[in-house]
Amino acid sequence: MNRRGFIAAGGAACCALAAASAGAQDAWLAPARFSRPDLSTDEGGLWAMMDREERNLRRSPFVIRDRALNEYVQGIACRLAGDHCPDMRVHIVNTPLFNASMAPNGMMQVWSGLLLRVENEAQLAAVIGHEIGHYLEKHSLERLRDARSASAFAQFIGLFGLVGALGQLAVLAGMFSFSRDQERRADVIGATLMHRAGYDTGEAAKIWSNLLLELKARPDGDPALKSPMFATHPPADERSDTLARLAATLGGGATNADVWEQKIRPFRREWLLEEIKRGQHEESLALLDRMSGGSTAVPDYRYARGEVYRLRAKEGDLDLALEDFRAAAALGGEPPETHRALGLIYRIRRQPAEAKASFLRYLDMAPAAPDQAMIKSYMEELGS
Amino acid sequence: MKRIVLLCAVLVLSGCVSIAKIETGQHAVGDRLTVNIEGAWNHINAPGMGPAQVWTMEGMAVDQLLLYSGIRDGQAVHSGGGNDNQKSMTYRSNMQPDEIAALFEGMLTRDGSRYRLSKLEPVSLGDLKGLRFEYSLVRKIDNVQLAGVGYAATSRGELFALLYMAPRLVFYPRHIARVEHIGQSMRIKP
Ligand SMILES: [Zn+2]
Repeated sequence: MNRRGFIAAGGAACCALAAASAGAQDAWLAPARFSRPDLSTDEGGLWAMMDREERNLRRSPFVIRDRALNEYVQGIACRLAGDHCPDMRVHIVNTPLFNASMAPNGMMQVWSGLLLRVENEAQLAAVIGHEIGHYLEKHSLERLRDARSASAFAQFIGLFGLVGALGQLAVLAGMFSFSRDQERRADVIGATLMHRAGYDTGEAAKIWSNLLLELKARPDGDPALKSPMFATHPPADERSDTLARLAATLGGGATNADVWEQKIRPFRREWLLEEIKRGQHEESLALLDRMSGGSTAVPDYRYARGEVYRLRAKEGDLDLALEDFRAAAALGGEPPETHRALGLIYRIRRQPAEAKASFLRYLDMAPAAPDQAMIKSYMEELGS
Repeated sequence: MKRIVLLCAVLVLSGCVSIAKIETGQHAVGDRLTVNIEGAWNHINAPGMGPAQVWTMEGMAVDQLLLYSGIRDGQAVHSGGGNDNQKSMTYRSNMQPDEIAALFEGMLTRDGSRYRLSKLEPVSLGDLKGLRFEYSLVRKIDNVQLAGVGYAATSRGELFALLYMAPRLVFYPRHIARVEHIGQSMRIKP
């Protein structure tokens, strides 16, 4: 099974569902805090598995350990979770895909690809609130107890052995993908928690319409036609509509866009590079079109989009790339690699003077760049 | 690592794997590439392994030396094709040195592993101008931190390359001198 595809599709699909009924949120009351279930029960077994996964995760080089960022995201989860705050443990994982998940033992994972994509704190709160919704309603346990899932689980353990199965958690999570009803519930709870924590619930709908833009940009067309997850669930645009209607009944609230911008800024350059390296040019362009069209003029978005064009290198792409790189440089504060990329294009186009000037600028701005020697040899080739 | 071990186990059981010992001396890889070896390596051969020869000192799940000889325009540098979520990394004959380094980076990160280039420099391989690069890699399937080195050059539109990687603390330092020696010894027939 293609793990990446599964996660990407699962992450989107997990959230691509649900027709939430407005009004239901008033009646909903959070349960009391959970105590650790007995190890001899199925729930206890599930927790033990997740505890083990969490121990591995803590050691993982993929975890982002920056304290300020962790405290910030943990704080958002805490505000949403209310009394359950002490049981929430957020782990930020460096993976350039849209995904968040929450295990029954309180381990929450937020992937960097999600943080790159959301536009403000309220949007992240919407995803986290939704995941907390699954947690509060013990949806994983429900799935485990579902007869079909249980036999699938047994088969799975049989196939890999318990240890192997633990290493295949992503696949496992996919097998326990939530039902349409559960997603609907999680949406309602998520919006309710958002509202209670003072967030603008209108932001929840935007996440799914934004994600849909990316998925629809894939060269293989509408994901609903390709992915089995999308095929069995209501489309993301339906969900976006329902969430918007739900938000209309829960007015007011903040987006905290400024705080968000400030907290994310130190990481964005790195996350954008990871996004470019996925090699999914059309999805990245959809994402970067949206991001670079935002109100804040961030040179990194222009550089990143130029780089996607440069690497895709279809007819006309190098011109578009040049335009973005020049715009990034004009904004100021651009990544040094902007000038390397300009130099590489000028070099291929046999514009030696421009190429050398750009390379020089790059070497100047990035004196410790790993490719200094190669760039210098390019400059020597260009002559004087 | 588990997946690789499992793969090896399956292949060994099915009897398709052959392991040949490569002894000290000069070796031809494909039609046009020769290298000089000091010390013995194991050449792993199994169906579906892709366009590179795979050599190892410690076992495939630990260290790997990939040798590419005569990769043509449009040919992928890995086994299997691309799909929705895994880019296919294909050599193009007009690739520049920076693009060749990026090609191997793309190949090594197809499974979500994390790559960091630490050096990219020109190198002379006989009469040919080539490139040499160093990198680190955090392998996605088991979080093992690897270090690696690569050599590459193109000739008559074909790609020739060597790629080595091993866990960075023990195995990489143990074998890197031999690997550099092999890299420097790469000669491509005109
Ligand atoms: Zn969900």
